[in-house]
Amino acid sequence: MAEMEGQALVEFQDLAVSYGPLQALVSVSGAFYPGPTGLLGPNGAGKTTLLKTLLGFLTPDSGRLSAFGLDPVSQPLEVRRRIGYMPEVDCHLAGMTASAFVAFAGELSGLPRDEAISRAHEVLYYVGLGEARYRTIDTYSTGMKQRVKLAQALVHDPDLLLLDEPTNGLDPEGRAEMLSLIRDLSTRRQMSLILCSHLLRDVESVCENVIVFNLGKVAAKGAIAELTGTRRSVYELRVKGEPTAFLTDLKDHGCEWTEGEDGYRVFLTSDQGPELLFRTAHECGVQIRHLRPGAESLEDVFLRALGQEVQP
Amino acid sequence: MPIYDQTYRKYDARGPLRSVRFWPITREALRLLLAKKAFLALWAACWLPFIGFVIYLWGVTQFAQAPQVAQMLPSGGQVFGRFFHFQILLVFILSTFGGAGLIANDLRTGGILVYLSRPLTRRDYVAGKLGVLLALNLSVTLVPALLLYLVALGLAPDRYLVWSLAWVPLAILAYSSTLSLSSSLLLLAISALSRSARVAGLAFFGLIVALDIVRGVVGAIYRWPGAILLSLQANVRAIDNALFGIDERWFRIPWPYPAAVLTVLALACLLILRSRVRAVEIVK
Repeated sequence: MAEMEGQALVEFQDLAVSYGPLQALVSVSGAFYPGPTGLLGPNGAGKTTLLKTLLGFLTPDSGRLSAFGLDPVSQPLEVRRRIGYMPEVDCHLAGMTASAFVAFAGELSGLPRDEAISRAHEVLYYVGLGEARYRTIDTYSTGMKQRVKLAQALVHDPDLLLLDEPTNGLDPEGRAEMLSLIRDLSTRRQMSLILCSHLLRDVESVCENVIVFNLGKVAAKGAIAELTGTRRSVYELRVKGEPTAFLTDLKDHGCEWTEGEDGYRVFLTSDQGPELLFRTAHECGVQIRHLRPGAESLEDVFLRALGQEVQP
Repeated sequence: MPIYDQTYRKYDARGPLRSVRFWPITREALRLLLAKKAFLALWAACWLPFIGFVIYLWGVTQFAQAPQVAQMLPSGGQVFGRFFHFQILLVFILSTFGGAGLIANDLRTGGILVYLSRPLTRRDYVAGKLGVLLALNLSVTLVPALLLYLVALGLAPDRYLVWSLAWVPLAILAYSSTLSLSSSLLLLAISALSRSARVAGLAFFGLIVALDIVRGVVGAIYRWPGAILLSLQANVRAIDNALFGIDERWFRIPWPYPAAVLTVLALACLLILRSRVRAVEIVK
């Protein structure tokens, strides 16, 4: 993790949160630093619980959580005014135009009314809804509703933007535009953000750091480059012949593999090279018909993190 | 042009948090409501009894000078109590159309997250929504009743500008507040229990009407005056009668009883609002 980039915006230490008997976060520790950070994990992993605790909606059972040096439990209003939250679920106010809605959101965040109206128009232009800002949100398409959600999260110029599944329901073009906006926010506007998504490519295209949650615990955390680049080498390969013995032998050599649509992805440890693949194939009587080196993707890291022992 | 080439301006003039945070919620909801012509027409219709009572007061002062006629027509503080008899049902109707969706719509559209992810407490949110209903209800109870009092003072100062009726403005204020608060809290609680404004509205109005029918049936069969405690409408009417000195056969009950029922109802509504207005789903 890029700790050197500055003081952590959000820190959590041994944080435990439960919904009645259900333990949603089990003694997790970590930090979010300035810049874009991805929050990954399957459904029920605890990502949204962390965001809700950060916003002061939930009270931790134990542990410590601080945002901007403030305690979200005792100072939730001060924390929330510095955060822009784009929820995963649909959120708008029935019967309101986009400009009125975003201005209202700004006012609720503490902006004076005139400033809220002025900024509402600006951010609606920024997210690409300038021409449609006087239409009621009920008439918007899914993509437009996503943009309005982003606009209402941005209107008060937050110090930290929480984006919960921002590309949900978008077509490929809309998704690319939304990611482009988010990238622009983090790179050109220097806005810190937490991108919570199950779409690994989205996180990969925007974030430098990532925290992977699984079963209420942190399964992996760090810079994406570190997690994906140096740990293991990956080879995509296709073989001719019966692969069972070949794959079993690879496993005996300590290599992991996954089966894809068009062959296998084999993960070698740092002290192994591709010659191991040829030697094993020769011993097992199969031919390697295609071999391509590649880097371990975030998806690989994610799947591996979910499969291994989680770290507190 | 790529959309990110559009401007985005930093904002560095963050001031202290507002002390009165519910007001934008009330103002914006009222603005949306009053933009609907049908609702404005309904609101205007709620003022028809006021016009009727102004004409009545004028008629009484102009044409009913004879003592026999004056005895038949109610005057004094009772006039305002009778005026409120008409307003009770109108308040329920106005509340139904104006407030059924106040929380239900936010639950349906996820709007509640827009509020609660901001520097607002749940209390601010409820106060903002309650403010909408109180403003509506007081605008058809407190405001016309006080105006009616002023009209009465102007038309018949000899009858109304007397020390013995100095309590009337206070009674108007107390009763308007009781009626508005009871109705508003019950509707908000029902609205918080549903995700549909239509369902919430029907439930609220249905409850008011159904309980009044039950009160009527039970009262008629058992000849039990306590039956009025079963109905919100009857409870507020009993308070009205007690405050303005009106004697009605079916509403003869000491005022502390209906007052206690309304207090318990208000507390129950607040408990419902407390459990339903939250940013996270309750996991049992």
